[in-house]
Amino acid sequence: MLAYAILAGLIFGLYFSLVGLGLNLVFGVMRIVNLAHGDVLMLGAFAAFWLFKLFGLHPVLSIFAVFAVFVAVGWPLYYLVVPRLLRAKDPEMLSIIFFFGLSQVIVALASIAFGSSERSIPGRVLGSGPYQILGQSFPAAWVVTGGVSALAVAFVYLYLYRTRLGYVTRAVMVHREEALATGIDVHRVSAIAFGIGLALSGIAGVFAPFMLGSVTPAMGVDINITSFAVIVVGSLGNPLGTVLGGIAYGISLMFMQTYFSSWANLLPYLLLITILLVRPSGLLGRKVRSA
Amino acid sequence: MVRAKALAVFAVIFFAVSAAHAADAPAEIKIGTLYASSGNYAGVSMAQYQGLRIWLDQKNAEGGVMVKPFNKKIPLKLVSYDDQSNTATAATLYNQLITQDKVDILLADFGSVLTSVAVPIARDHQMLLIDQTGSGAAFFTKDNPYIVLTSLPMSSVWPKHMTDFLVKEGPKLGIKRVALLYATNDFHGTQAAAVRDAIKASNGAVELVYDNGVPTNTSSYTVTINNIQATNPDAVLELGYVNNDIAFLRNLQDGGIKFKWLFTIYPGLETEVVEKNVGPKGMEQVFTYVPSSVMEYKPEFGMSLSQFRTTWNSKYPDGKVEFGFNSVAGYTTGLVLEKALATTDSMAQLALRKAILGQSGKLKTIDGTFEILAETGAQVGEVQPLGQISLDEHGEVKFVTVYPPELATGKPVYPAK
Amino acid sequence: MLRTKALRHTLFILLPVIAVAGLLPLAYSNQLLLFNFVVFLTLAQGVNILYGFTGYLPFGYVGFFGVGAYGFSLAVMHLHLPPLAALGAAALAAVLLGLVLTPLLRLSGAYFAIANLAASQAMFQVVSNPNLTDITKGPYGISLAGVFAPNLSYGVAVAILALTLGTVIYLRNSRFGLALLAVREDSVTAAMAGIDVVRTRTLAWQLSALVAGLIGGVFAWYVSVFYPETVFSPEFSIFAIVFALFGGVATITGPILGVVVLYGIYNAIGISTPQYFQLIYGALIMGLVLFLPNGVVSLFRRWGIDVP
Repeated sequence: MLAYAILAGLIFGLYFSLVGLGLNLVFGVMRIVNLAHGDVLMLGAFAAFWLFKLFGLHPVLSIFAVFAVFVAVGWPLYYLVVPRLLRAKDPEMLSIIFFFGLSQVIVALASIAFGSSERSIPGRVLGSGPYQILGQSFPAAWVVTGGVSALAVAFVYLYLYRTRLGYVTRAVMVHREEALATGIDVHRVSAIAFGIGLALSGIAGVFAPFMLGSVTPAMGVDINITSFAVIVVGSLGNPLGTVLGGIAYGISLMFMQTYFSSWANLLPYLLLITILLVRPSGLLGRKVRSA
Repeated sequence: MVRAKALAVFAVIFFAVSAAHAADAPAEIKIGTLYASSGNYAGVSMAQYQGLRIWLDQKNAEGGVMVKPFNKKIPLKLVSYDDQSNTATAATLYNQLITQDKVDILLADFGSVLTSVAVPIARDHQMLLIDQTGSGAAFFTKDNPYIVLTSLPMSSVWPKHMTDFLVKEGPKLGIKRVALLYATNDFHGTQAAAVRDAIKASNGAVELVYDNGVPTNTSSYTVTINNIQATNPDAVLELGYVNNDIAFLRNLQDGGIKFKWLFTIYPGLETEVVEKNVGPKGMEQVFTYVPSSVMEYKPEFGMSLSQFRTTWNSKYPDGKVEFGFNSVAGYTTGLVLEKALATTDSMAQLALRKAILGQSGKLKTIDGTFEILAETGAQVGEVQPLGQISLDEHGEVKFVTVYPPELATGKPVYPAK
Repeated sequence: MLRTKALRHTLFILLPVIAVAGLLPLAYSNQLLLFNFVVFLTLAQGVNILYGFTGYLPFGYVGFFGVGAYGFSLAVMHLHLPPLAALGAAALAAVLLGLVLTPLLRLSGAYFAIANLAASQAMFQVVSNPNLTDITKGPYGISLAGVFAPNLSYGVAVAILALTLGTVIYLRNSRFGLALLAVREDSVTAAMAGIDVVRTRTLAWQLSALVAGLIGGVFAWYVSVFYPETVFSPEFSIFAIVFALFGGVATITGPILGVVVLYGIYNAIGISTPQYFQLIYGALIMGLVLFLPNGVVSLFRRWGIDVP
């Protein structure tokens, strides 16, 4: 049972790395708290649902559509919103409120457009029958999702560490003002990061129907809290940290489900608080951010 | 003697005339309720609300409902607000309905959580709370006459037929080891407790080998299923809301696991939404409550299931809110109200309660036999039999009622293959 | 100077607000709506005490509220305390939680906000756990029909609001408040100027916890039948924060304005056009943040009107 819980936690955690990744990127680059993160994920989930239902599009293929559309929407949205927010006295806090408003709007529109019932895509779409991993059997949907999540993390890693754009993005993460002073087009870099961040949330949404049972317009709230836990446990701005955070979350969740099931939702929160207190910068953080 | 008789006749006429005069019929009967178009309860709350609307629109198309104190048909006016599944907002809006809109009849929103805050408010304002689907046992106390539960039995009564089957028929089939998994909320915790009591009372005929609660927002059961499997159960009960059941059944299916005997609630209660998410294959041979959205009772009052179904489809063709038990529940509330208004002595709240209690054991609707405990207002009728899902030759879901024997339409398949 | 200002604020802000809150039920019969206004006025001021004066955003503020509600309920159910005494238990529960969570103050910015959110969720998970049914009634919820007293509890809620407003007026017009603001702006300089940074912060933190615990206790008393998800709903935190920020923090009137305007609109839309309710509300919040980022009071300031 323990071995199964750990393996399942690993796969589930990989998925939650993907869930946290977009949020982490946006926060890391812009110091903007995207409280609508879970709702963007929900939109990705519905996009995948409708693409599958109307055109029979395979979820793995709809990733590309979701990526393109979400980047295309996120980019201009950045210019519309973020520079204004950043001019305020306390952009971090103000962004919380702004995105709370946005989250309400998204949920309202989604409820009007899709209705409020549960939707999902059949699990067999991602492969039939369970897979055997190390003698344990897992649903095919889990294995595929875990694989795609790992690829997405690798993609973000390559973007941040192996491209010129990623290099300047990291410069903006470390110090926005200094980056500005060295002549980096901070807004352009941030806008791209914002678009990619939203798109990653959308892609995480594509797999939500498989990993989270079903999707509804109201699903975002729970996702938000978990995502925050994941990215803080890892460390902000570091995609590898998010992976670590996701896996720590996944394994602890599965462990709790096995041994103290009714307390299962408590441990991630305790984990988050403990890590913050013991190591506020997260598991992989370098800079200590305590006051 | 003659004089006395004349006097009596005179008195009767006098009172009749003055009574008719005193009670000038209102232009409309105001019915107040809440629904949640968003948030956790949106799907089920909207189903209930739309079910109620069917009754209401139908009555208004007929010129209203018969109201006995005025001896005429009076149109209904619905005053409804959106509480967005938020209890604090719901509390304010219930109060708004009572104090500002001054509704004649107060209906609760879906489920125990959104109903809970209305219980003390209604009591304080001496308004009868027509509780549609809030089955929490704590609401029904002997000292509070201002509540009745109309459309489903209280939570502790729900599993009656299911546990009877497990304890009495189970051992004959070879069921001994039972695994119980439930979502930790009032509705499912109460049912789990009833199951636990029944198993304890079986004196070892069946035993619990797994008994665990999971948080209500649990969306992944893969590990839990593995753990249950490790206890080698003959029968598995998973009690949760529709999102829990969907996740559980999907995880089972994706993991290629089939329990010998599996009970979950929502394949029966919200068949369509579960079928859309899980597919008929994933529901095959699952045991469930057979609710009135599936079971054809012979209603003596109101539409039959098939008529209601047709009306629903033509009224809500967009399919954004799935048809399910809660649709029937909302409609049933309307029927109970209609009967109450037709038999009540006055429009006073306690008179309405009396009229509703007067229907107990007599009113047979699409939702089964209405039966209410006079002391507390809790529903004990409308109990759902135990059924098993099978697929017909076209692969469509159909229900076989297996228990109690008097309602059974077939034999249970055990073990499931 | 500070003292005369405090007196002026008490006379022209505290007294009118309390008078209106106290007298409105006589004219308007949806007392519960008014009660919710009082609850949010108190919570928004509680957020103001912490966020306005220290810069810590209590994203899980509802934790104190919920713990207060349960502290009250448990004292009534198990110790059979009369409601007013049980409010003491509500306050105690919130302050104790505040003590346990004091180390969170070591975190800054979004870290604190998120950790605080996690803490409130953790409290909810504990209180609603079926293993604790004997103590907290677990997920089965609380029923306090025996002490239900809407008029009295409404009055007590108004008294707590008065207390909270008094605290904010004190902070706005005292050395202690100035010290807090100094710490918020630059904790290192403040420490060098001889301010005990940790002590002042902890005090503000506990004050804000106390306020939420007390009003949570009264909420339990007034509502009297509720589930854990009712009193731990994250919407309490988010509403209180949105209201406080909308008006403008570190002021006395800002949060009041925020609650009256936004919660007013919330209810007005909710009653008139419920179908587009969430949409309008969300859009409104977005617009306000974009065009009035420092709260409504900043608008008055721009016009040269000093807002307390």
